[in-house]
Amino acid sequence: MSTETKPPPLSLDELAQLKWLLGGVLTLLGVWTVSYMDVEAWELVILTTLVAGACVWWPTLPARVPALMHTLAFPLIVAFFVGDLWLTGSILPAMVRLDILLLLYRTASYRQRRDDLQIIVLGLFLIVVAGVLTVSLAFAAQILVYTGCALLFLLTITLVDAAHGNVKAGIFAPVPRTVPGWATHADWPRLFRRLHDVADARVVVLAVALFAGVVAISAVLFMAIPRFQLENSLFLERFVTKKAKSGFNDSIRIGDVTEIQQDTGIALSVDVSDRSQAPGAPYWRMLVLDDYTEGVFRLSPRLRMTAFGARERTGASALREPMPKLGAGVVWTFFLESGVSRYLPFPGRWERVQFRESQNFRLAPDLGLLALREEPVTMTAYRVEGVEISPVIPDPSFARRWKAANDSDRRHGGLQSTLNVNVSDTERLRALADEITGGAAVAAGDFIERAGAWLRERHSYALSPVIPRGTGDPLVRWMTSREAGHCELFAGSLVLLARAAGFPARVVTGFRGGTWNAYSNNFTVRHSDAHAWTEIFDPEIGAWRRTDALAAPEVQRAAEQTGEAALARRADSSWKARLDSLRVFWYRRIVSFDQQSQTETLRNLKAGAQRGGQQLREALARAAAAVRAWFGGPWDARRVAVVVGWIALNAGVVWLVQRGRIRFRHWRSAKSDDPVRADASRWLRRLGECPVPTAECAAVRGELQRLRFGARVTWPEPEGVFRRARRALREARRERRPA
Amino acid sequence: MSVAEVNRWSGPGARGARSRFTWNHFLWSLVWPARGHRILPTISGTVLISLAMGIGTAAYNSSSNILFITLSLLLSCLILSGVLSWLNLRGVAWRLQLAGPLRAGHDASVALDLRNGKSFLPTYGLWFELEARPVGAEVPQRAESTITAKGIDVKAAWAKADAAAQRGTVMLRSRLECGGDARLEWGFKPERRGRLRVELAGVGSLFPFGFLKKEVGTDLRAETVVWPAPVEYRRQAVLSARRLAGGERVARAGAGGDLRSLRRYTEGDSHRLIHWKASARTGTLLVRQYAAESAEGFALWLRTEASVWPRPEQFELLVSFGATLAEDLFRAGQLTTVAIDSEPPVPVRRRRDLEDFLDRLAVVEPRKAASAGAGSDSTHPFVTTTEIARQNLMTFAPDGARGVAAYVNGNQAASA
Repeated sequence: MSTETKPPPLSLDELAQLKWLLGGVLTLLGVWTVSYMDVEAWELVILTTLVAGACVWWPTLPARVPALMHTLAFPLIVAFFVGDLWLTGSILPAMVRLDILLLLYRTASYRQRRDDLQIIVLGLFLIVVAGVLTVSLAFAAQILVYTGCALLFLLTITLVDAAHGNVKAGIFAPVPRTVPGWATHADWPRLFRRLHDVADARVVVLAVALFAGVVAISAVLFMAIPRFQLENSLFLERFVTKKAKSGFNDSIRIGDVTEIQQDTGIALSVDVSDRSQAPGAPYWRMLVLDDYTEGVFRLSPRLRMTAFGARERTGASALREPMPKLGAGVVWTFFLESGVSRYLPFPGRWERVQFRESQNFRLAPDLGLLALREEPVTMTAYRVEGVEISPVIPDPSFARRWKAANDSDRRHGGLQSTLNVNVSDTERLRALADEITGGAAVAAGDFIERAGAWLRERHSYALSPVIPRGTGDPLVRWMTSREAGHCELFAGSLVLLARAAGFPARVVTGFRGGTWNAYSNNFTVRHSDAHAWTEIFDPEIGAWRRTDALAAPEVQRAAEQTGEAALARRADSSWKARLDSLRVFWYRRIVSFDQQSQTETLRNLKAGAQRGGQQLREALARAAAAVRAWFGGPWDARRVAVVVGWIALNAGVVWLVQRGRIRFRHWRSAKSDDPVRADASRWLRRLGECPVPTAECAAVRGELQRLRFGARVTWPEPEGVFRRARRALREARRERRPA
Repeated sequence: MSVAEVNRWSGPGARGARSRFTWNHFLWSLVWPARGHRILPTISGTVLISLAMGIGTAAYNSSSNILFITLSLLLSCLILSGVLSWLNLRGVAWRLQLAGPLRAGHDASVALDLRNGKSFLPTYGLWFELEARPVGAEVPQRAESTITAKGIDVKAAWAKADAAAQRGTVMLRSRLECGGDARLEWGFKPERRGRLRVELAGVGSLFPFGFLKKEVGTDLRAETVVWPAPVEYRRQAVLSARRLAGGERVARAGAGGDLRSLRRYTEGDSHRLIHWKASARTGTLLVRQYAAESAEGFALWLRTEASVWPRPEQFELLVSFGATLAEDLFRAGQLTTVAIDSEPPVPVRRRRDLEDFLDRLAVVEPRKAASAGAGSDSTHPFVTTTEIARQNLMTFAPDGARGVAAYVNGNQAASA
């Protein structure tokens, strides 16, 4: 008979060591959220990481902390918080720093149960704040890992309390400056080996399955929790201030956009409800810059006032004039990452913007732009309807003013035609414009083509251009040279040339193109797609013409093509795209989940269930009809052979499964106990509880005892004994049942 | 011997305890849980629930799906806690084992056998609340109205009942392996003689996360008797002299004189008395029974008239004194018969007879005055004076206000 080789369960000291380790891990998981929270607490995070790591590895360290420190810890932490709040004036960052300090203190001292619970709550606070503020996919990963660790931590605490024989839990307190017994002989590699040894594969699998169940139940609850908003406001936003990372501000110096291009992170993801309407390389307009001075383009105060107006609006939707014929039925859903700009990107003119929550914004209907009051600190989702994608942007208001203006007004009246350079540069620009037009009056369309070709012919593209030294305007100096340049130089030069030729012009900043994610079927636009281009007013049609001096006309026309073929050329199927698709899934299905999505989900579930049920019924009916037809047909030897073969095959499968089960149990029990003896023990127990001890029970019990305790050579045939035991038990139960 | 063994297994894993699942039963059990079944949030559970409520409020206030995710996770953790708690208790059975004899004022222990019938999951962190309460000291189970009863009276009744009971908690410190069993022991000290009910008042667990304290009521109880506490007493010369002046010196009753008959062997009989030939012939152990068994020693007669023993403490002393003397005389082989009041005398031949007598002493109460006549000498069980003289009748009478004296044939033999 084989002997029991199962290792002993974890001792109290080992459980306490595991608890200490998990407490440290939870502390680190909590404080590391600062890495994506954009709160100034890096020094504290590094300090906490070092202290937590050291205390986990050398658990005797907390005993060396002077008792005075324990006395002063709380007043000092409170004083730090008050001072921090007074100096910075931002409550949420101060609370985050306070939280980290408390975690630091808890991880550097021996803990009672309530201290362990504090660690969980403090860490959860950090993770939730980070999640709410960033709406990052990292939150999903972190909360899952944190939940798993926290549950394991709580389980260990319960087991430690049970091993202490402590019913009420947590009443044994650590003695200050005294090293607990478990800490003196902590040996982490040994603990891991012990964990490995005592872990039962089945229990581990069950634990993993249960955790998967928790995630599944959470998903169901998330979708099932009724949604209604008491107030449309993201409350945590009020407590933080954030600076824009990008250069998409009201004022852009030459080179700012190129600087943005160095960042390869995602700027926005865009869903299009009808892919056939999506262009291959859209221009995502964000900001119009009409004023130029000494190498800096800016949104002039006059245009800001006239276009955006003085009134700020508040609401969840913004509505321009209805344009039902434009892009009807196509919905564009934008997920704009934080730190891009407070100006929202659009692929063209639009009719209606719907936000996920209420926003404060200013709308410029003639420019087709929308500016939020503040830089969003979190991902901003909005739906755009009635989008018209066209390189021509009608502006009747501007056309009227242009038509009514005299020559002086056109040069100095804020009609986006002022050169604003010195006299000599003005002369040089006019000379260049004459060179382009040949001294004749040309239409805007012709000028655009000629000027673009002229610039491309003289300058090549480079991300790090060299502007020749000298006096005068830098753009004019570059224009008159043969140096390579980037999009801002091309766009700015075209603006100056157009204005010199008498056409109103402006620089537009935003993004161009992006890739089409083949997995999640959406546009992924990165910061590296940042771009600047030109819009030149064509008085003949009363509209602004989009002009990209970097791209040849045929390239621009190709970019305007819509449909699957155009998207296929931009499709991205890389691993990076696969990861990006996860982020989009997170935004689409989780972050943007609202009452409407809930209703749609329930409707889809109902429809799916009905459809599935219908299909199942039909399939069953078809199968039943086929079986009936087959059995109703004339029987011959072949059909009989088929039936017999079918039965034999099924019996064989059942037999194989049974044998497999037995072999599996033999294999599984090889190291612990003899499976036959284990089975005999189980049957003995069942027979012991036999309601009516019959003679057969008594007879078979003897054989079972021989199997359980006797030498192997004296064993009767085990399967037969177990069969008899089953029969005896069944008979005993039958006898017990009243007639 | 007064050993009450309750061999019945109880708990979720006991055979027959698992009734067939029906939704009706399940839903009703949520509304109207079984007696003793309780689920209470612990401090961490209260924190979790408060946290969930706070996050839920913030989620609705801000319509942040991040907060809704956190709320969902917290709620599902509570559900997981319930499932694991149920799994932990599933398949576990327990039974009480009372080891006797119990004696007032002496340490006693109750064993609790545990069995885990699960196929691969161990069980952790159970505790068992045990209670020992004299029978008759229970709080009435019927509903008490506080409209008709003053609150203070009800509280006093509860306090009285609680004071009479002894409670203890034993903890399952290590895990109970699947298919394994364990034994926990609870030690207590019965304070007074009488019938004692030991009850498994509840089984509780904080497993797995300590959010909820789950308590399962049980109907497992066992009754036993607690023998009177032994007392110290002074022997008088009479008792010793009679002992020395006995007809034959024997180590034990039934070991001297002429062979009268054979009887079955019982526990406590000397091996020397075994009649090996007869035993071999019949296949049953038989011992020799001598005439001396019923002819030597003392006959102990305990009279319990309330008029004679008006003070309860003196009566208790009488009972303890009687029990102590009976045991001492039995050990000395000098106890022949015992009787209480007008009951017929019972011969004491083996330990079982003595234990029966102690069992009766454990529950004896002062006899009411209405039947006082039954205790007179003319009706005592030892019929004739000759027989009384021959049997060395030992009786008891008050010795002052507090003491008790034992008399042999009217002469004081011992006092306590």
